Order: sequence, then structure tokens, then C-alpha cells
Amino acid sequence: MNPTELITLREFITVVPLCVLFFVSLIPLLIKPFLGGREPNPISVLVWNFLAILAAAGCTGALFGHSYQKTFAFSNAIVLDGTSVWMSYLVYIVTAVGIMLAYDHVATRGRQFTEFCFLMVSSACGMLVLIMSNDLIVTFIGIETMSLCLYILVAMSREQVLSKEAAFKYFVLGSFASAIFLYGIALVYGTVGSTYLPDVATQGVKLISTNRVFLVGAILLITGFAFKVSIFPFHTWTPDVYQGASTPVTAFMSTAVKAASFVAFLRFFTSEAFVAAPHLLTVMTWLAVLTMTVGNVAAILQNNFKRMLAYSSVAHSGYALVGLITAGFGTNYNAAATSLLFYLFSYSLMTLGTFALVAVFERSENTSLEINDLRGVGRKYPWLAMSMTVLMLSLAGIPPTLGFFGKFFVFSSAIEQDMYWLAFWGMINSVVSVYYYLRPIVVMYMSEGEAETLQIGLMTRGTVIVTGLLIVILGILSSPFFRMVQNSVMNQF
Amino acid sequence: MPINPEAWKVGLDHYLYLSSLLFIFGMLGVLMRRNVIVILMCIELMLNAVNISFIAFSRYAESTNGQVMVFFVMTIAAAEAAVGLALAVTVFKKFKEVNIRFFEHLKG
Repeated sequence: MNPTELITLREFITVVPLCVLFFVSLIPLLIKPFLGGREPNPISVLVWNFLAILAAAGCTGALFGHSYQKTFAFSNAIVLDGTSVWMSYLVYIVTAVGIMLAYDHVATRGRQFTEFCFLMVSSACGMLVLIMSNDLIVTFIGIETMSLCLYILVAMSREQVLSKEAAFKYFVLGSFASAIFLYGIALVYGTVGSTYLPDVATQGVKLISTNRVFLVGAILLITGFAFKVSIFPFHTWTPDVYQGASTPVTAFMSTAVKAASFVAFLRFFTSEAFVAAPHLLTVMTWLAVLTMTVGNVAAILQNNFKRMLAYSSVAHSGYALVGLITAGFGTNYNAAATSLLFYLFSYSLMTLGTFALVAVFERSENTSLEINDLRGVGRKYPWLAMSMTVLMLSLAGIPPTLGFFGKFFVFSSAIEQDMYWLAFWGMINSVVSVYYYLRPIVVMYMSEGEAETLQIGLMTRGTVIVTGLLIVILGILSSPFFRMVQNSVMNQF
Repeated sequence: MPINPEAWKVGLDHYLYLSSLLFIFGMLGVLMRRNVIVILMCIELMLNAVNISFIAFSRYAESTNGQVMVFFVMTIAAAEAAVGLALAVTVFKKFKEVNIRFFEHLKG
């Protein structure tokens, strides 16, 4: 394409949801100076941000709702297909829920709620860029936009010690990972001559076995992604940051960030280049196995509820990595990619619900929830306890919940591609994980105690119950849902 | 004995060695230093080391793409420095020193 060509209207339309989201979310920030720097009414902030998200979701729906035609824009740097549309919806949902949780939560309510919401929505904009990017440098910009907002979000808590420590750790490791990722881009650019992903794919097939520089570049890129989605040797920041951040931010971070990074990882990894590198398959397989095992074993040892969930999220990265490997090295891309997207959806829903529940039972911003603090919940708050049970069973992967079907599709596509080893370890790990997911349930129902909820609003409680219900309903309706996702992914080619 | 003038030429590989060396220095700095400001400087060093690679590749491939990317990277590096310094200020306010040895609350 001629680089001097002006941006056409058709190209601009592909990023309209992003622009709408960003500019509407700016409005509360612009209102603030007119009130003399006083915080506007939090409800109005909430309404403006919801409006932004709804408008953006409406744009996505109206423009690309039914035809999952693959469209390119901006010299092919942005791609719009079924995957991007589905994942955009996921980002909208998670951001909306994140803002609701933040409105209710004691650590984030307060003087800087306007800025908080704006940063959350900006981070979502970064994720949208990341999801749609078809060029490594755009991916990098998406990752950075997303992460820079997150570093501040983690630090913006009323709690003073842990959140600052977590923010700084996250910042240092995140920037470190970004620099590694960028070096990978530089080496790939040097060997391929372009950062456009299809070019990398076509030329990489030859280069990966002949050119060491390209191989190192690809490995650095994979390392950068592995940091972002917390895969085994690079997962150590996860528990610290998830524990230190305020619960609404953790909910946002553990779902949307992970899903968006996984989609970018998928776009990079499914280029045919890696099929020619059998060693890489072995390494990735072991990384997946170790990620699952380390996450699950470490989760068993935790007493802090958020830390346990953080390790469980590491384990879930491992399961998602199984889907990614199947999509990258297998022959049936569609089934594997669909199962990965479906898995990310189910994981995000379950995790959002669970963190909302953590937010309900945190007494103040300075105490963190231990598993034993849930004693007596079963008797006192039967609805919450029931939702919690569903969420935990779903995370453990027990039918007929959504979590079961997520794992089922991922492992069955791995088996179809003759990757028995991965599926085997996935199953073993699912069994191990049941132990620590059942522990909170046992504590809730079987031990006497005085669990107390904060004076927390309806929205957080609502989130817990709605996600609980959704998990059962979507679990039962999982095959039509799966087919819907599959149709959208199929039309990519 | 006169030295062959070709031997004095600086080629692509020299730039790449320089860039990887600076990158590794930055990496070691992030991993080993305990002062927050030094860590921030080392992260900047890593990003700028990558810039050298981009420029060198761009020069020798005779395409301007790499130089455009450097602008993006510089912008991102500036944003990162702003966020990092802001975090350093909060750390300083809390612990009265910019050192990561106080980070001992999150473990396990």
C-alpha cells in the first residue's frame, strides 16, 4: 500500500469504537476543573463511563456485529475480525464490572474516582489496540498503553503500604518485560525487514531454522508475552501484585489484561513460522506443564484468599497456554483458537465473580481476606455462598459449569491434535486444583463463625450473583455459544 | 605496514554488538541495583539500546520504518519515565528513601 495515501473514512471506521470509548470517558475528567477541582458526584462519573462503554459496544455491534469479514486498516496494521469483535465485547464487560466494583469498594471510592475510572477506560483502549493489532509495533504500543494505566491504577488505592509496593514491583517487572519484547521486535524487524505479522509468518518459516537472530528475536517476543500472561518462570510478580492491588483493580487485571495479552500472543504465535521449530514446541509444552503445576501447588499452600486466586490464575494461564500451543502447532487452527477464546471468556467470567466476592467480604482497605474469614458465610448469606460455590466449582472445572466446558474444549482440541501429553497434565492438574477450590466452600458451610460484609453496595453483590447464574446458564448453553464463537473465528480465512 | 582501510569500517554487526551490550548492562542494572532511580535509568538504557538496533537495521536495510519506530519507542519511554518517577515519589513519601529493600510486605 502506498504510504502517502491519506487515511480513508473506511479505515477510520474500524477504530471508531476506540475513539468513542476514549473521548466519552474524558468528559468527567473535563467536568472536574469546572467544579473548582472538586470531585464530581461519583454517580455521574459512573454514568458517563457506562455511557462511554455502552456507546463503544454499540459501535462495535452496529459496525461489525454480523459480518465477521476480515477488514484491514491503516496499512494493514489494524485487523478487524471475529476474534477482535468477541474480545472487544469481553473487554467492555470486564471494564464495566471493574468500574462498578471500584464504585463500591472502600479502597478506591473517594477523592480520585474520576481519574481512576478514566485510567481504567484508557487501559481498556490499550487492550482494544492490542486485540486488533496486526503489526508488532502496534502490539507494543497496545501493551504499553494498557500497562502504563495499570501501574497507576494499582498504586491508586487508599491502602498505603502494600499497594505502593505492588505498583512499583509491577512497574519494574512490566517495563523490563516490555524492553525485552521490544528487543525481540527489533531483531525480528532486522531479519524480516518488516514488523507486519503476515510478513513475519511467511518469511519466518525459512528464517527460524536458518537465522539465529530471528530465532532469538522470536524467543524474546515469547518471553515478553509470557511475562504479561504470567507463564511459569516469569509468573513471580503475579501473586504480589494481585494481593497488593485493590480488589477491583485485581479483578480487572486478572481478566481483561490476561485475555487481551493472550489474543495478541495468539496472533503472533499462530503464524506458520513456529511449526518449523520442533524444539520450540517441546519448550512451550514444558512451560505449559510447569505453569499449571507450579500454579496449582503454590495455590494449595496459600491462606490469603487473593494470593490463592493469583496462583490459581497462573494455573489457568497454563491451561490457556495448552489452547495456544494447539492453535500454533496443530493443524486445525479454527477449533483450537475457538477453544482458547471460549476458555478466556469462561475464565474471565469466573474470576470476575470471585474477586467481586472477595470485595464483598473485605472488612477495610487495610486487611486482606484470609480463607478462614469466610467462616459462617453459608448460614448468614445463603445467596452469596451459593454463587461462591458455583464459581469455585466452575474454576475447578466441574460439570455442568462454564469452567468445565472451557477446559473440555481446550483439552479435547489438544487430544485431536495428538498432544496427549498436554491434555494428560491438564487433567492431572484439574484434579489437584479441586482441593484448594473446595477449601473455601468447606470453610463457608462447615465451620461456625461470624463473617461480616462491608457496607458494600448492591452492584458488587449483584456481580457475584449474576456471574454465578451466567456460569450455570452459559454452561448449559455452551455448545451453541461455542458454535457462535467458532463461526466468527472461521470467517477469518 | 599500512592497515587495510576496509578493516576500519564500522558495519551492522558493530552496532548490534553495541546495542546488545548496552541492553545487557541495563538488564543487569535492573536485576542487581536496589536504588529505585537507578532501576529507572537502567530501564531507559534498555529501551535506548533497542533504539540503536532499530536505527542500525533501518540504515542498512535502507528503509525508514525502523526510524519511525524509534519515535514511538521514545514516546513510550517518556511516558514510562513519567509513571516511574511518579511511583518513585510515592515510594519516597512512604518510606523516606528510594530503595527497594523496604519491599518486604508481599511474600509467600
